[in-house]
Amino acid sequence: MAYNFPIIEDCLRCTFREQRVFCDLPREALVKLQSIKATSVYPKGAMLCLEGQSPRGIYVLCTGKAKISTTSSEGKSIILRIAEPGEVLGLTAALSNTPYEATVETLEQTQANFISHPDFLRFIQEYPEVSMKVAKQLTHNCQCAYAEIRSLGLSNSVPEKIAKLLLSWAEHPLKYTGPQKKSQEIAIRVTLTQEEIAQFVGTSRETVSRVLGDFRKKGWVQIKGATWSITNKRALENLVTT
Amino acid sequence: MTTTSDPPNELYSSLSPGVRQELGKFAQATTVAQGGKLVRHGVRPEQLIILNSGKVEITVPAEGKTLTLGTAGPGKVFALRAIVAGEASEVEVTALEKCSLTVLPAEEFLNVLRRNPEMYLAVVKVLSGDLKKADSFLRQKARNVPLASGSRSRRS
Repeated sequence: MAYNFPIIEDCLRCTFREQRVFCDLPREALVKLQSIKATSVYPKGAMLCLEGQSPRGIYVLCTGKAKISTTSSEGKSIILRIAEPGEVLGLTAALSNTPYEATVETLEQTQANFISHPDFLRFIQEYPEVSMKVAKQLTHNCQCAYAEIRSLGLSNSVPEKIAKLLLSWAEHPLKYTGPQKKSQEIAIRVTLTQEEIAQFVGTSRETVSRVLGDFRKKGWVQIKGATWSITNKRALENLVTT
Repeated sequence: MTTTSDPPNELYSSLSPGVRQELGKFAQATTVAQGGKLVRHGVRPEQLIILNSGKVEITVPAEGKTLTLGTAGPGKVFALRAIVAGEASEVEVTALEKCSLTVLPAEEFLNVLRRNPEMYLAVVKVLSGDLKKADSFLRQKARNVPLASGSRSRRS
């Protein structure tokens, strides 16, 4: 198999549909969605949206993750957040017909459904159920943005920020299939490089490396390639002030 | 009740005359003095608020600090996200001067929304604008503060 996940081209048969805010639609709307979307599989590093580009349409992330980033005044990339499967990307640009405000780049092999800008606008106008789902997605996105704004008011140290990031990833642990593990151990798959973690928390790669090394020495995390284990969640929680 | 003389607002501009009339049955006019709160952070709003005149400040409180998202003027709608999500408000809205408002009880608004799901398109437009403002604030913060080494935060 060329890809490490099954490609789902038929939205009506997608088994994840009910878990995804935007995709859990009545049959009639799903049939329409099926007729207007184009399914593509992208390699790691593919650019779905470019900051400043006119909105060509929206992407529904089916499988995989993508980083949403902007550029600092110094020309450095800053990761604003990580998009997870089920998320609709490029929404505000498409709804307001203004340029994409951030760049979206895949972090791993990703399947996404693209809906062109005119088709998307017609789709939400014709089907109130779709605009209801979009409203739900937007309320969620607003909530996340306000939470992020609140965190700006707190002077967290880099170790706190990295601990917070690890704890957020721990909310989506890997399904463990190997030998018996310690009950408190949480396995996570990390798709970000240390450089990208640095772009996320606003520091240098060297500092991320030093902090992770410190966490490892203390026995709070184990790192084996892209699979990390959080071995002392309580210690990380104690570090986080919010 | 709202009248045709009410100034346009970001929600009503996308609604049909029939829905506007239906909402108008529950609308009440009121005023808030300078410094008064239109929306309180952490409180589930009981009313949807439409700002007809005056200027307000939108802030996000965070552990004793207050971050100002910006100001808004006539035509802006408040508390929509919290009402639609059935949650407490994330933001606080304070009158910078005497403001005149139209308020709609949250329950009545939600009832009209349930009866007229086509209203969601108008809701989406308002929420999208709110998200754009919040995201723009975050990007601005991220861009302005240089990447630091050591423990200094870029975003603080």
